[in-house]
Amino acid sequence: MKRIRLTPLFFRRVHKWVGLILGLQFLLWALSGSVMALLDKDKVGGHGGGMSHAHPLPAGEYFNIAALPQREPVTGVILRDLGSRPVYELHSAKGVRLVDATSGELVHVDEQMARDVAAMMNDAPIRKVSVLAKANLESRDHAGAMWRVDFADAENSSAYVSLDTARFLVMRGDTWRTWDFFWMLHNMDYVNRKSFNHPLIIFVAFGALWLSGTGFYLLFKSFSRADFRWLRRKRKPVVTRSPA
Amino acid sequence: MAIRWPLFVRRTHKWLALVVGVQALLWTLTGFYMVVVHIDTIHGDHLVRAPASQPFDLGGLAAPSQVVAAAPGVSELRLQRFAGRPVWRAETPDGARLYDARSGAPLPDLTESQVRTQARRIYTGDGKIVSVRLLTHAPQEMQSRKPPYWQVEFEGWNRPTLYLSPQTGELISRRHALWRIFDFAWMLHIMDYDERSDVNNPLLRVATWSAFAMALTGAWLLIWSFKRRKRNKA
Repeated sequence: MKRIRLTPLFFRRVHKWVGLILGLQFLLWALSGSVMALLDKDKVGGHGGGMSHAHPLPAGEYFNIAALPQREPVTGVILRDLGSRPVYELHSAKGVRLVDATSGELVHVDEQMARDVAAMMNDAPIRKVSVLAKANLESRDHAGAMWRVDFADAENSSAYVSLDTARFLVMRGDTWRTWDFFWMLHNMDYVNRKSFNHPLIIFVAFGALWLSGTGFYLLFKSFSRADFRWLRRKRKPVVTRSPA
Repeated sequence: MAIRWPLFVRRTHKWLALVVGVQALLWTLTGFYMVVVHIDTIHGDHLVRAPASQPFDLGGLAAPSQVVAAAPGVSELRLQRFAGRPVWRAETPDGARLYDARSGAPLPDLTESQVRTQARRIYTGDGKIVSVRLLTHAPQEMQSRKPPYWQVEFEGWNRPTLYLSPQTGELISRRHALWRIFDFAWMLHIMDYDERSDVNNPLLRVATWSAFAMALTGAWLLIWSFKRRKRNKA
């Protein structure tokens, strides 16, 4: 068998063949990276908290939680204000129950309530309200059933409101949707768009290392003194124009 | 004179590579690190215990109205446990505070020994605590969080560090060597060397589009070179 000789020609071949197999993804990484760098991150939004409205709890008496009908052991209680009235969130192994904190009555998060919560986050008129049994791609970071409230604004914003707790979950707009498509191209998780630690991307990233590594090496082999002659050529006229 | 395309494209590819070559190498290197080490490991999920959810005895609790009156501007009250006893955690504009859930009395800030106990309770490892400090200035690795907080460092090659709230003792963040490397890799990846968070900086925009042009000319050369080979053989 022929011994492999680590000549520039060998590295040029590695560069070419890796380029042939993984070049398309390299191109897509460069493209998606470029687009994500171009899209204004404030318009993309959705990263980090500070988006939700917090209302101060009103003073006065609250319904005694010990007097609520206890169906299952309560593992957590949260008292908060919806903007119109205070509610208890009763957490248990079975899920969450929402209870009016003044009357003790069970609260059902209906369409009107979803509209009210969503309207606190966006002044635009509401175009459509729908209900989802579980998260879609846009609200994938949240669990459980939810309302989707679509707004008639330039961004085609959609607000997601939890069906269990009436909490505002997330706002998504067209800039985010564009960003998310390119993020999918970048992380190669074409189904869930979420993971960037799967075998496919690890394999391709390893190959890309060879592409950039051999390419970097070839830079030193591809450039010669002659390539930089134009730098000297430019300087010459300055010299000839010196006082004669 | 007609342009000799292969030569022109090869030159473009070469010169673009000269300009963004180092960065392209850094992108693939940092990208490789970020895909190989799982993000849950980076986040340090393995360093901390999730609080066990035990049922509460709802009888004999202080009325929420008492805590609401004591904590001005409170927007949320949570019934939870601190050091084994039930407490109301009040979220106020000035941060979170704890109130004894039975008496309704406010709990004082944590002492250093309470912080140690709390850190031990959260941390999953066996290593000793190396240092405990109350920070009033955010270190580089906590740029996004507002101090003050307790910094509890444990022994170990990866220098696991927990940050705890002085008011509630809850875990604010955890850091370790792999996270710190990731953060550095991320800085190199997005080319924001100050804040490590601006993915829209002009340098990155120029570099990414140059890299795209480099990749595109590379792709052209590739197709051209394989086509030529076929022609030569025929």
